[in-house]
Amino acid sequence: MKNAIQRSAPVTLGIASFVIILVIWELLVRVGWANPFFTSQPSAIASALARQIRTGELLRNFLVSFREFVMGFSAAVVVGLVLGVVAGWYRVIEYILDPFIWFLYSAPLIAFYPIFVIRLGLGSGTVIAISFLLSVTPIAVNTLTGMKNINPSLILAARSFGARPHDLLWKVALPASVPMIVAGLRLGVGRALTGVIIAELFVASSGLGYSISYNGQLLRTTNMFASLIVIVALGVACTQSLSALEARFDSWRTSPGV
Amino acid sequence: MARIAAFESRPRFFESRAFVSTTAVLLFLIFWEIAPRLHWIDGTFTSEPSRVIAATLEILRGGDLLRDVSISLLEFTLGMIFAILIGVPIGLLLGTFQTLRYLLDPPVMALYATPQLALLPIFVVWLGIGVGSKMAVVFVGGVIPIIVNSIAGVREVDRSLVLAARSFCASQKDVFAKVIFPGSLPAVMIGIRLGISRGVLGVIVAEMYVSQSGIGNEIMKYGSAFRVDYLLVYVILVSVFGFTATTAVRALEERLRA
Repeated sequence: MKNAIQRSAPVTLGIASFVIILVIWELLVRVGWANPFFTSQPSAIASALARQIRTGELLRNFLVSFREFVMGFSAAVVVGLVLGVVAGWYRVIEYILDPFIWFLYSAPLIAFYPIFVIRLGLGSGTVIAISFLLSVTPIAVNTLTGMKNINPSLILAARSFGARPHDLLWKVALPASVPMIVAGLRLGVGRALTGVIIAELFVASSGLGYSISYNGQLLRTTNMFASLIVIVALGVACTQSLSALEARFDSWRTSPGV
Repeated sequence: MARIAAFESRPRFFESRAFVSTTAVLLFLIFWEIAPRLHWIDGTFTSEPSRVIAATLEILRGGDLLRDVSISLLEFTLGMIFAILIGVPIGLLLGTFQTLRYLLDPPVMALYATPQLALLPIFVVWLGIGVGSKMAVVFVGGVIPIIVNSIAGVREVDRSLVLAARSFCASQKDVFAKVIFPGSLPAVMIGIRLGISRGVLGVIVAEMYVSQSGIGNEIMKYGSAFRVDYLLVYVILVSVFGFTATTAVRALEERLRA
C-alpha cells in the first residue's frame, strides 16, 4: 500500500501543483488582490480558449506556427546531420566550418529579419528561415561532437574485421553518436520553437507568436495567456516525443558508456 | 576516413586548425568584398567587409555606443544576477527534497520546454517598455535552465560521499554545505552558461521588440533602414560578447571539475 502511494507520488503531486497554481491564481483575482486586467484569470482564459476553438481561430494560429516549426526544424535536421557527419568524417571540413558555425551559434540572428523579409516576404517564409538558422547549429555541432568522441577501439575492431568506410559510418559511427545527436535534436527543437515565436513577434500576420503580440498591443491579457498555454503545450509535446524517440533509437545500447 | 587520434601522423602546419580556419575566414571575407563589386551578388543586402569596418569607426566616433552598451549590459546583468540568486537556491532545494521536486518539477519543466520569449509581450504589458520588461525576459530565460541544471547537479552528487560524511557525524547543514553544494557546482555552471546565451538573445529581442535605447534598438533602427553595414557591427558586437561570456563560464566549469 505504501509502495503504491510512493510510486504514484510524482504524478499526483505534479497534477496537484498545476491545480494549486490555477486555484491560487483564480482566488487572487476573485478576492481582489490581483488586477484581472493585467493577470487575467484561469476561468476567463478557459472560456477564451473554448471560444477560439469554436471560431477556429485557435486551430488556424496553431497550424500556421506548427507548419513553420515543422518545416524549419526538419530542414535543420537534414542540413545539420549532413554537415555534422561530413565535418566529423573529414577534419579539414570541420576546421573550415568551425568559425562560421560558432558565429551562427552566438549571433542574434533575428537581427537580420528585414533582409529575409525582402527575399521571403512578411510571413511564413521568413519565420521558417529564422527557425531553421537557429536550430541547425546545435544539431550540426552535436553530431560533429558525437562523431569525434567515438571510442577508438570500436573503430579498430570494426576495421580488423574488414569493415569498409561506409560500414564504419553506418554501423559504428552513427549508432555510437546517437546520444549526442539526440541531445542536439533536443536543443534544436527548443531553438526552432523559439525561432518561430520570436520571428512571429516581428513579421507574421498569423500564428501563436503573432497572436500574443497582437493581443498585447490591444492589452487583451486573457487572449495572450490563451495563446501562451497553447505554446507551452506544443513545447511539452515536442520534448516528450523526442524522449520517446530517444528511448527507441537507443534501445540496443546495453551498458552505459561505450 | 574515420579518425583515430592515436594513429594519426604528426599534424603538419597547413593541416592545423589555426591555419585552415583562418584561411577559410579570410577567403570568405575576400569573396564577400569582391562579389558585390563584380555584381555576382547584390551588395545592398550583404554589404562588404570594408563598409563594415568604416561603419565600426563611424559608430566608435559617434557618442551613442557607450550609452547603448551600458543600457543593454545593465538590463542583462541585473536580470542574470536575479536569475542566479533565485535559480541556484531553488534548484538546490528541489534537488534535495523529493516531495518539493515532485510538486514543482512539472511547471518548471513545462516552462523549460517553452520558448520563454513568448512571455515578452506579457512582460511589456506588465512592466512597460523600459528596463523592467528586458530584465524580466533575461531573468526568465536564465532562471529556468539554472533551476533545471541545479536539480540535476544535486542528483549527480555521489551518494557514497553523502553517506561517508553522515557516518562521520556531519550535520545536515554540513552535508549540504560541504558535499552537496560543491558537488553540484559544475552542473550549476552549465545552467548559468545556458542561461547567459538565452539572456543575451532575450535582451536583444526584447529591445528590438520595443525600446527607446540599447543595442537591440540600434539593430532595429539600422535593420529597418537596410543599413546592413551598421547592423552587422552591432550583431558582431553581441556575438563576441555572448561568445566571450559563455567561454569564460565554460573555463570556470572545467576548473571546478578538475
